[in-house]
Order: sequence, then C-alpha cells, then structure tokens
Amino acid sequence: MPSVHSVHSVHDVRGVRGVLGGLAADRATGSLRLGRAGVLYLTGGRVTYAQSAATPRLEDLLVAGLGIPVGVLRRIRRAAAAELRESDPRTHDPQAGPRTGDPRTGDPRTHDPQAGPRTGDPRTHDPRARDPQAGPRTLGPPVAGGERLIAAGLLTRGELEFCVLSAVLDAAYFLLEAATGRARFRPGERHWLGPQWHVDVTGLLRECERRREQLERTWPSPELDTLPVVPLRRVAAQRVVLNPLQWEVLVGADSTATPAELARRLGRPAYSVLLAVRQLASSGLLQVPASSPVPPSPAPPPSPAPDQAPVTPVVAATPATPAAPAEPAARGPLPRRARGATEIPPPAGSVRTADWLPGANGDPADVNLLIRLRNALEAFT
Amino acid sequence: MNRMPFPAKSSDRPEYSPCFPYAVRTMRDITGEGDRVLGIEDCLTEVLAIPGALDAMLIDQTSGTAVAVGGASRHTGVDDVERSAAGLNEALRATLDGLAVVSPGGTVRIDDMMVTTDGGHHVLRPLRTPFDGPLVVYVRLDRERSNLALARHRLQVLSGRLTST
Repeated sequence: MPSVHSVHSVHDVRGVRGVLGGLAADRATGSLRLGRAGVLYLTGGRVTYAQSAATPRLEDLLVAGLGIPVGVLRRIRRAAAAELRESDPRTHDPQAGPRTGDPRTGDPRTHDPQAGPRTGDPRTHDPRARDPQAGPRTLGPPVAGGERLIAAGLLTRGELEFCVLSAVLDAAYFLLEAATGRARFRPGERHWLGPQWHVDVTGLLRECERRREQLERTWPSPELDTLPVVPLRRVAAQRVVLNPLQWEVLVGADSTATPAELARRLGRPAYSVLLAVRQLASSGLLQVPASSPVPPSPAPPPSPAPDQAPVTPVVAATPATPAAPAEPAARGPLPRRARGATEIPPPAGSVRTADWLPGANGDPADVNLLIRLRNALEAFT
Repeated sequence: MNRMPFPAKSSDRPEYSPCFPYAVRTMRDITGEGDRVLGIEDCLTEVLAIPGALDAMLIDQTSGTAVAVGGASRHTGVDDVERSAAGLNEALRATLDGLAVVSPGGTVRIDDMMVTTDGGHHVLRPLRTPFDGPLVVYVRLDRERSNLALARHRLQVLSGRLTST
C-alpha cells in the first residue's frame, strides 16, 4: 500500500491545470487525486485514465454499452488490481521505473505538430513493448486489466480504446471545471486498466475548453445542469428532429433524474448527456425555470449546437409555449378591419397631419426638398 | 507483395476453389478483410492503406475533436487539424439534419458521405461505437489513383473490425 512518504501534497494557486501542466513537463507517472472530485492517472506525462464523481465510471459504460456482466468485470478488475499491488515498484524507489521509463512515449510528441489527443506510438498497445514502463520487478510483467478484458473476449481493442478515450475526456471535463483547492500526486500509482490510450495534457485542456464553449453556445445557462430533466408534455413545433442521445434522454427522463443521474442510468458520458439536455432546452422541448434566460435568439443559427434539429429556429423563437401568443400581445392588438373602411387606422402614438400628405417634420432634408419642389413648380409656370 | 504460389497452410486454402489461389488471395487483399480486430491507431493505418489514400483522420463526433491523424495532414499545424476536424464533423451533422427532414419517416442513418473537389475525393464514414456518439472516419483519396467503390467497401469492412457490435 502507498506509504505516506510517497504522497506529494500540492497546494497551488495555478489550480489543477497548472499542476497537470507541471506533471506533463516532468513526464510524471502516477495518480493525481483531486479531493473527492476524482482522480487523474498519468503515464509518462500523459493522461491515461480519469475518473470523476460526477460521471459514470468506465465500468458503467462497458456494462451499458456492451452488456458485459457486472460480476465478470468486477472479477477481472480485482485480479488486475491485486497483481498490480503485488508488483508495486514503490517498495523500491517511487520514481525510478516509470519516470525514466520509456523515452519514446514523451519525445516524439514534443516535435510532432499534431499533438491532439491520440496515441503517439502504436507499439505501446503491445504489452511486451510497454514492458520498460512497468518499473523494476522480479516477477513477470503484470497483465493490465485492459489486456485481460480483451483476452477474455469481452470487447475489441478498438472498443476499449474508444471507451477509455470517452471516459477520460468526460471525467477530465468535470474535474477541471470543479475547481478544487487541493490536489495530491502519488508517483507511481497506476490504474488497474493499464494505459490503453494516451491523451496529451495540452490537448486535454484544449478539449475541455472547447467542450465548455460548446455548452455555452448551445444554451448559455448552467441552471438546467443540476435540475431534474422535465420534458414538455406538448410542443409548439410542427416537427422535431432528435439525435439518438436526445431520444435516450427524453425516454429516460422521469422528471426526477438530473442529467448526471440520467447519464449513469443510461451508461452514457455525463458531458454528452449534459449537452443533449441543453440542446433539448434550446429546442424548447424541456421545462425551464422561469428565471432562465431566453436562448440567444439572434446569434445562434449559423454555428451553434451542431446536433440541433433543423426545426430549432422555429422552436427557439418560442422558448416556453405560453410565450408564443404573449409576444404579439405585448405590441398591442392588431387593428381590426371595420366595415366600409378604406384606410388603415394609424397605429397608436404616431402623428399624422393630413390623410393625403406624407408625414413631415422639421427635418432639414424635408425642408430642402420642399423648397426645391416649390422652385421647380414655379419654374413651370 | 510477396505471396506464396500456393497457400502454405491448409487453413488458408479456400475449400471451394483450390485451382485459383491467386485470384482468391488477391481478392482478399483487395477487400481488406482480415480476422484481426483493430485498435484505433491500427484502424488509421488500415484506412491509409486504401489504394489512393492521401490523408486520414478519426474524429470524435461528440466534440468534433481529432482522435487520430495520419497521412499528409499529420504535418499541418494542430490548430488547422482541429479546425478541419470540427468543420468536417459539422458538415456531416448538417447533412444529417437536412436529410432527416426530407427522408420518408423522418429518420436517417448515413453510411458514408462523399465530396469531390479538385484535390481529391473526400469520404466521411461514421462508425458506430457502443459508448458515445460515433467515431467518424475521414479519408482523402487521390482522384487519379483511387477507386471510390473499393474505398467504400474497405471502410465498411474496417468498421466491422474496429467494433464487434
């Protein structure tokens, strides 16, 4: 078990982002625990796993997405975790193995202009190739949980990698948004799954930023994020187009579950559910609290919420159903046509001089025009 | 490519036509069918192995971020890659939205989407994944050296090998 001396306490005014950046620069391997919010696991300075209290765990995604039995998953996790504990290199030098580990994992990335979240080296997928990272050991290399899952035929490597990627991006978003003051880094601590997919810290921060902006663009208020999702019983639009996740959210919404609870229940990443909820709100399909801001009506159509249904312009104009008839009423009732009337009565408040003349005021342009007109008429006679 | 004149192992031998090992082996090469299940990075390699492929990219559809990049776009800047990933993702989504309204029944599922420019054929294909929004494969093909039908077929086979569902 980790001894106390291997715990680095990080109090940092730069926040979690700064700490992460520092660890990336050091090519550190270990776990960064952010209080109760969750944990980030790093391997060679890159994030290989993340877990947040606000998001479904990877296990939940696997169970819901692939129908892997919970018991089987738990057994594999225990076996992998136990073996990892036995082979813990921290009984020797906590930083010897992983940090000096594998120069390949860090170096090519710094020169590679394409530093987005992706693997640097396909060879790291091979358990044997990862051997040097595993730290000093006398026993054989422990088989990481991910390899066990694949060997058991529960999922393909592509599925595992994509699932880890989804889980990391999802958890990191909520971890970095929740600004916790205290972060503890434990060098050498690894996740039972093993490094299945690497995400660059810079790429991760950029992605979190983009996700935040995407939410902002879709529906600028965070109010709905923590409230139960309540779909409207009737919709004003003639036609509604949903994407599959929006459909799942609507079907799963029972008027008591918040987006986070829905995500766990559906086995979908919390961010995706949150985005779907905000999209539904901006399409006018959800009940929104009265104080909620009206969606940004003039701005959104070009870039916004990519998943938005084509009907949204129609719906977005009427955020809550009762607002639709209320809007014209605010401008006063439309003039009623009277029998035999030949002209439109002037709108209230406007000044009209004579019926057959255009309205005129003291505008110098008008005066000049009149003078020129008079001169022209006089020239005629 | 170095091929044995005859199948070396008995398991490789097609049971129905032992007379045409060449034809059978070449077909298998062309169609890109294989038993091995792929990881994301292997998937990109396989996409780039499509005859005439110049650029390839895997895009996460939820956020429009580039998950993996290969080919010529590897050497462009990070920002450009991110921007093109976001744009392509957007294009696919806009097309989905447009088609959903005109499709009978109002539901739509895109198998692939192609755009031809003077720079080549661009093919986008969403791969279903069991977890999040689909992963989108993008590949740019040389106009002279590629075969669209073959590329489509290869992408279809690939998607079956990336995920088991």
